[in-house]
Amino acid sequence: MAELLGAFEQAVLLAVWRLADEAYGRAILRGVQSALQREVAAGAVYATLDRLEQKKLIDSHVEEGTPVRAGRVRRYYRLTVPGVKALNESKAALENMWRGAKWPLEVEA
Amino acid sequence: MTQKSPPGWLEWILTRCLSERDRETISGDLLEEYREEQLPRLGFVRANLWYLRQAFSFVSVSSFGGPVMKLALTWMSVFTAAAGVWLAFMEQMLKHSGYGGRTVIGICIAMEGIATVLFLLLHGRAIYRTLVLVGAIAVGLLGASAVMRILGAPHFEGFVLIIGSALVVQGMLTIVAVLRPHRLETL
Repeated sequence: MAELLGAFEQAVLLAVWRLADEAYGRAILRGVQSALQREVAAGAVYATLDRLEQKKLIDSHVEEGTPVRAGRVRRYYRLTVPGVKALNESKAALENMWRGAKWPLEVEA
Repeated sequence: MTQKSPPGWLEWILTRCLSERDRETISGDLLEEYREEQLPRLGFVRANLWYLRQAFSFVSVSSFGGPVMKLALTWMSVFTAAAGVWLAFMEQMLKHSGYGGRTVIGICIAMEGIATVLFLLLHGRAIYRTLVLVGAIAVGLLGASAVMRILGAPHFEGFVLIIGSALVVQGMLTIVAVLRPHRLETL
């Protein structure tokens, strides 16, 4: 079984998966913020993307930029097969942990 | 139509914090977000504050894995080690009252500098990170104390101010660098 992903890594990978062909830095940042429902520092997202790429859970390529970004190139990310596998395993592990627990948990007096 | 951009110095800060590989892509992403979302929503001043916050998020998170900050911290630590050796050597040469204790402090400062360089080169384990963290806090406090003392002393000694300030900066940089992995894991 592969190393389990942290919650933030899962949020980034799921944003990449949801965005499919449109998964570039800014869109991923917005996707993560939307999923976590809070403002997230860009540095945290790019550092996570960098780490996930080093782990070969995603790969990337650059494409031409648009005028609104002064022609600067965009880096697009894509889930790899190990990336999809790691996400599936993380989801399964989470469900396994919660099996038998009635949600929401209640505090006993 | 000319599109508004963040001030040049803000872009300069951002690009200095990014690796060569990411410089164009990330600055482009932030420029796009700035122009399309933040500027219309927040206005010029608050949009610039947003941009500054994003730039600093790279200082505190990714840049310590990047070449510029790592190189800066490495050289600061080498300076700290050399300063510690020099202080210990001078105390041994001059043998002023209480020189033994100050020699030990000099040696400790040198060891902290060497430990930080090794930590940066070898990516130390948890126990080693803790030792480096404790050393960085001690060196930072020692530097701050030296700076405070020299500013209030009747005889100003420039080398104490320089070494003290360097210890404070090196201590702070080391603390952030050591804490970074935990911060990333808990985001």
